[in-house]
Amino acid sequence: MAGICCGVVGEAAETSSPIEPTSRPSARRSLDLLPLKYIAADVSVPPLENSRKRQRLDRRASPARECDNAVHSSKSKVVEVVPNYSSKSPTLDSTSPTVVEEYPRYGVTSVCGRRRDMEDAVSVRPSFCQETLSHDKKLGFHFFAVFDGHGCSHVATMCKERLHEIVKEEVHQAKENLEWESTMKKCFARMDEEVLRWSQNNETPSCRCELQTPHCDAVGSTAVVAVVTPEKIIVANCGDSRAVLCRNNVAVPLSDDHKPDRPDELLRIQVAGGRVIYWDGPRVLGVLAMSRAIGDNYLKPYVISEPEVTVTERSEEDECLILGSDGLWDTVQNDIACKVVRMCLNAQKPPSPPSSPRREMAVDCSDKACSNASILLTKLALVRQSSDNVSVVVVDLRRT
Amino acid sequence: MTCPLQLHRFSPATDTSTAIANGVNCPKPAQTAPSTRRLLAKVGLSVTEMVARHHAHAVGPNQCCSFVIQAIDAPVSAVWPVVRRFDNPQAYKHFVKSCHVVAAGGAGGDGGIHVGALREVRVVSGLPAVSSTERLEILDDERHVMSFSVVGGDHRLRNYRSVTTLHGDGSNGGTVVIESYVVDIPAGNTKEETCVFVDTIVRCNLQSLAQMAENMGS
Repeated sequence: MAGICCGVVGEAAETSSPIEPTSRPSARRSLDLLPLKYIAADVSVPPLENSRKRQRLDRRASPARECDNAVHSSKSKVVEVVPNYSSKSPTLDSTSPTVVEEYPRYGVTSVCGRRRDMEDAVSVRPSFCQETLSHDKKLGFHFFAVFDGHGCSHVATMCKERLHEIVKEEVHQAKENLEWESTMKKCFARMDEEVLRWSQNNETPSCRCELQTPHCDAVGSTAVVAVVTPEKIIVANCGDSRAVLCRNNVAVPLSDDHKPDRPDELLRIQVAGGRVIYWDGPRVLGVLAMSRAIGDNYLKPYVISEPEVTVTERSEEDECLILGSDGLWDTVQNDIACKVVRMCLNAQKPPSPPSSPRREMAVDCSDKACSNASILLTKLALVRQSSDNVSVVVVDLRRT
Repeated sequence: MTCPLQLHRFSPATDTSTAIANGVNCPKPAQTAPSTRRLLAKVGLSVTEMVARHHAHAVGPNQCCSFVIQAIDAPVSAVWPVVRRFDNPQAYKHFVKSCHVVAAGGAGGDGGIHVGALREVRVVSGLPAVSSTERLEILDDERHVMSFSVVGGDHRLRNYRSVTTLHGDGSNGGTVVIESYVVDIPAGNTKEETCVFVDTIVRCNLQSLAQMAENMGS
């Protein structure tokens, strides 16, 4: 968690890193579904120059070498590097009226970084849910999520294993009356109840927790979830992980970090009888550096598990979706992340003739590009002295 | 100067009741002991002068002190073995990730832990602390008094000292735990903020202790 401040690293960051100046408002700002929030972060180099350096590095390095570099430069154990090389037949079965939705192209990187323990978790469930519409069309929904645990890893692990199943159940129950905001709020409440129920049982904990008792009221996790359908992107966020959409060269935040000093969160906490104390940053009761989380029962009702939900119509201008823990976003701004990913996607553009074998190649290149992008973003965060676990999911949203 | 002690009683999510007494800036120890006895009398406890004296902290001008009281539906004989384990605070303190005793204290040789022992505590993630070096100050198995002070580590709580005492609650067969502490007020924070922060940690610890001891009995 970013909340753990190592004094030495903090001092080094302060002395070596100038504050990034405020970025210019985008010409297409009116298209933003959420107001852009600029979060000042220390950067060691100007973003433009860094972008050029990144480009040079990308031209020289092969994907395999990128993986090696990631391991070496971070001086940490790479817990999970999962490129998705999904292969599918472009041929449609002409005897079936079913329109087959293509599997999504994505890349995942999740590293321990400078922390002693890995408490992040990533969940990717392509076609986890099939919605049956009229005309017998079966369209796949895809589930992507990042969970950043604190106190221990088992809440994040439970979310990784269960939340997509809960979402699937709730979507099926809703049927034609599917309303995404209430559905996702119900899912998060159910997940929080499962965490609470688990900690109240005398079951043997399955995590590396050195605790000898399963009463773990003081463990929690963020949860940023994206459900990608053919028409929409649904993001439900609880905590300070984040989802960002890259649309026509513009970074569009699809979530708003739940920091205790966000004015509406501060007010909600105070109305509930709690308070925010600045103790190595703003913290609820001086203890927790986020205002919403799954778990953390001892801080309820000040720290709640209710997500903020955004529903975004997909567009031809959509390029990619990035989910990340605060280990990424504390050091990499939204627009820089979008530039890195766009660079990776464009570096392996599919060839224009749409013949069958080249289409396969385009898909493979895109999966590698997403994986490269997630690795590069992780390396960038670590180079910029991120002191937390870093988890990144990159989803290619371009229509092929 | 009177000690502005305030006693609040409320029922949190757990079925055990918790009372919080916030004492701020009480520089005269002699005045604290009688107030402590009155406080304990309100909870229905009889307490000896010597035990009350343990909660009479000498508070400096830039320090604050506070109490947390937790009722536990389990006998003292079940609670005390957990509280007294200086080498295993993580049994009930869930913010402790690991603990290593680096000095056993006492004359040595017998393998036990005595006053003067030192432990290195590592704190779980998400908290504004990394580690804490703590010294055992009191371990009284007859009067059920345990005390430790914080002598180092990566955190903002300087000159922290706490005392934990256990008391039978009369005919009910339960236990009342009192944990009081004194600590420097960190630069940039107020006395009230410091007490809110530490009280939250101590209260969470004692609620976990209650759940643990009560489950052991069931």
